[in-house]
Amino acid sequence: MARGHAGRKRSLNPEGDLNLLPLMNIFIVLIPMLLLSAVFLEIRAIEMAGGPTSSAAQSPSEALDLAIRVTADGYVVTGEGLASRAVPRGTPTTEKPVADASSAELARVLGEIVAAHPDNRDIRIVAGSRTRYDEIVTLMDIARAAGLPQAALEGDGSEV
Amino acid sequence: MRRALTGRRAKLAKRLQMQQGLTLTSMMDILTTLLLFVLKAFVAGGEVSTPPPGVTLPTSTAEAAAASSVVVAIERDAIIVGGERVAMVRDVLADQGPAIPLLASRLVQERAQMDALAERNPDAKPTPRMVTIQGDREIEFRLLRKVMTTVQESGFEDVALAVIKRS
Repeated sequence: MARGHAGRKRSLNPEGDLNLLPLMNIFIVLIPMLLLSAVFLEIRAIEMAGGPTSSAAQSPSEALDLAIRVTADGYVVTGEGLASRAVPRGTPTTEKPVADASSAELARVLGEIVAAHPDNRDIRIVAGSRTRYDEIVTLMDIARAAGLPQAALEGDGSEV
Repeated sequence: MRRALTGRRAKLAKRLQMQQGLTLTSMMDILTTLLLFVLKAFVAGGEVSTPPPGVTLPTSTAEAAAASSVVVAIERDAIIVGGERVAMVRDVLADQGPAIPLLASRLVQERAQMDALAERNPDAKPTPRMVTIQGDREIEFRLLRKVMTTVQESGFEDVALAVIKRS
């Protein structure tokens, strides 16, 4: 009788597998919990060439002193020995804080300056008190794409 | 005779099916891989990669990875360091000074902790005195300028702006 019972037990679990169900249960709870709290965004960093300074402070590039000034009407690209070039603001949106037309024009103007002064890699973004952060970041992107990766931030005290 | 044999085969097949149960091994492999992937994402990301819920970072084409550093988050109504609200934006903007004293004292504490850790482990690689600013995309430059001025006056040499990579 006992022999018969043992034989039946062996046939029910012939390979002696682990009972994986409890582990499965733990995993099934853990994975959704971790996925829910995860942030699937690619975070990047823009390292600043210098902190925010007043307009009287030393410029990042003494030679050219290239700057984009944010004004009420748009943007003005200035530099030592360069004629000031104004770029109208256009119609910015929430998604595009610098309008497409302004962005293209700024890229063209900066591209020309970089072509004429290939050694210069610095630019100052001179923003007004009320200039939005995403507009400043977009201006930095435009400058970086044009070959000016070292951007510094400055304030001019205006209410733009 | 043939009918009896077919019936016995069907019974045997049914019994075998009952004994076999689900094959969980492949499912376990998938779940283990998923779990490791999710855990790795958490460990590799750290605090810098997770902005607070009230902060919508601006998008950018920047490619540089965010380094481990002290994180200052700027919400629309508060400034946060280490998960704690250290100053309210309304008060900061009402104050005419160039820096934010409450943030400065908190950053000085953070720097002191970094220095104490460095003293305890002189062989360890020195931690850069860097602050990453996680600013909401809608904040104004006057607020960002005050935070950056405070960071520099508190003895942190490098400042980075956290952004979301534009796809």
